[in-house]
Amino acid sequence: MTKKKRFGVSQALTRGLSEAINVVENNAAIYRNTVVPLSRIELDPDNPRKLTINLNDVRNGLKKEDPHYEKKAEELERLKELASTIESSGVINPIVAYKLGEFYRVVAGERRCLASILAKKNEIEARVFNEKPKGFGLKLVQWIENTAREDLTLDERIGNIRDLIREYQGERGEQGITATLLKHITSLSLPQATYYLSVLNAPDDLRKAIEHGQVRSLDKAAMIAGIDSDEVRREALTACINGSSLKELRKIIAREKLVSSQPKIMREKAKRGRVASRINMGSTANAKVVQAIVQSVLSHTNFNRYSEIFSQVAWDRYDHATRAFRKLVEILEQEMVR
Amino acid sequence: MKVIAFVNNKGGVGKTTCSKLMAEYLSKVKKIPTLGIDFDPQCNFSHQYLKMEIDPAAPEGLMPPIHPDYATDDPDHIDWDGRSSISEIFYGQGVVPYPTYLQHLDLAPGHAEKLLAAEAVRKSEVVDKVHKQLANFLNSEDVKAAYDAVVIDTAPSKGPLTVSVMKAATHIVIPSVMEEQPVQGIYGMLQLWMQESLAREKDRPLKLIGILPNMFKQTRLHKDILKCLQENPAISKYVLPVSLSQRIVFAEIDAEEANPRSIFDYSVSHVAKQEAEEVCAYITERIFS
Ligand SMILES: Nc1ncnc2c1ncn2[C@@H]1O[C@H](COP(=O)(O)OP(=O)(O)OP(=O)(O)O)[C@@H](O)[C@H]1O
Ligand SMILES: [Mg+2]
Repeated sequence: MTKKKRFGVSQALTRGLSEAINVVENNAAIYRNTVVPLSRIELDPDNPRKLTINLNDVRNGLKKEDPHYEKKAEELERLKELASTIESSGVINPIVAYKLGEFYRVVAGERRCLASILAKKNEIEARVFNEKPKGFGLKLVQWIENTAREDLTLDERIGNIRDLIREYQGERGEQGITATLLKHITSLSLPQATYYLSVLNAPDDLRKAIEHGQVRSLDKAAMIAGIDSDEVRREALTACINGSSLKELRKIIAREKLVSSQPKIMREKAKRGRVASRINMGSTANAKVVQAIVQSVLSHTNFNRYSEIFSQVAWDRYDHATRAFRKLVEILEQEMVR
Repeated sequence: MKVIAFVNNKGGVGKTTCSKLMAEYLSKVKKIPTLGIDFDPQCNFSHQYLKMEIDPAAPEGLMPPIHPDYATDDPDHIDWDGRSSISEIFYGQGVVPYPTYLQHLDLAPGHAEKLLAAEAVRKSEVVDKVHKQLANFLNSEDVKAAYDAVVIDTAPSKGPLTVSVMKAATHIVIPSVMEEQPVQGIYGMLQLWMQESLAREKDRPLKLIGILPNMFKQTRLHKDILKCLQENPAISKYVLPVSLSQRIVFAEIDAEEANPRSIFDYSVSHVAKQEAEEVCAYITERIFS
């Protein structure tokens, strides 16, 4: 019996068709792509970008007595670079704006507007919303715009994501944001979404370094954020600030892994002549075992003062249980040294 | 005034056949004053109603015949060579539609050379010189006063000519054969529809009536592809519930000497006529209700 061949339309094509339909159905009445006069542009004070220079400065020139003169002058230089590419090849992506009375308020694309004015353009292509995009929708627009740009710092990107999540939770209720959900909201790839999530919850030292522009790459930041031991993390962070590559950072972390979780294979290797320097604590699929060990140790008078640390552990979760067990070993090691 | 266009950048899927059916249905059956527009340099649609002539300036292309209203001794016609095609809109000249053998149907024919020139306008100029011209023409008061319906046949292209049709139309239909390549043509048209929809004021949307299966055969290929489109929740809304089968009459009626000339001249019991009527009635209902 032969199976009858079934014909069809390729998945890519059906996806393309339904996407076009969805775009029209979801957006046609909400915004329109058009051309707006630059003379009627206003900047949005709530934009997540952090430019100091404003429309007035660009239209009328900088004033020496301006308290932000230096910063603005620097920004102006960068805008001029953009202006010269706009002069030669125009603005590639339309800006996003919404109508506010006589004016168009820029939601995304203020640099393009400012640079277009510098380039002596009169008009700019825009996606104009009929009304101010609100909450999550607004943040999403800004996010989509910003992902297309290269000059945005890691700190600004993380700020965007944080806003986006906040608005999302505001609108749809406080739900835990998983990487998959974040991927869904932002159309980031899953690894990227995972990276952002771990960086969002980064310890203070890492966060500061990102804020100060000392850590600029997302994958490095995510890698550092994932290090459990404070000591190793500090080492990796310093290395990163001093320009270590991803590979070098990975080495530092590999050392941590050796310390905290001995791979089973070590035993075999040891047999083959290596001198074992550590003991493998083994692994189990039964979290109750871990809970039992931890609780028996804590019931010991020497250790019950540590109980508080373990009060929040969700024992049915492997990651929690693993971390708790490592913590216990750490405590025991410290206590034994004394 | 409703402006309906048949579009698909894949060739030979039935744009001209559908334009013809629709123009004849509206004018002959429904007695609606209708203007047919041939926006395809191939001029197949024009050739259905006018004796198109070979253009001495471009022997591979056709041009309209001398207009019946043209009179060499009329002082008003001193600047006119007596021919008038829809492509005059690109040259700032008046378009004088031709009467056809059908009382309520006029035709603004194509002109191969001039339409090709518009299709080839440089990218930097295309917006001003081509894209808006058809919409401007159809928005003029005399056109709106003379017709209640406009049917546009288009070229198998995604270029400036088709874009200007998108800008001028109120409704589009995408005829397609249920085969891989024509379905890819649907994608091209949805892209143009999307672009245009997102550029329009919200009070005058460009309505996509839908995909019209044409030359449909009860083969596994056609049935499977149709089913595939119907099973997708987004696309299914735009797959028309009516279709045209592969029928020799639809091809025969194109011939110059065809008798009768219109499918609607056939007897009520003729299957092809019934099918054409069903399709046209459905589209008319969607547009005018
Ligand atoms: N339902 C049908 N049954 C049989 N023949 C058909 C049918 N529809 C169209 N045809 C024939 O198929 C050929 C192509 O159709 P038509 O000219 O309408 O396509 P088109 O999309 O206008 O082509 P082009 O892209 O070249 O302008 C013509 O010869 C026409 O008579
Ligand atoms: Mg044709």
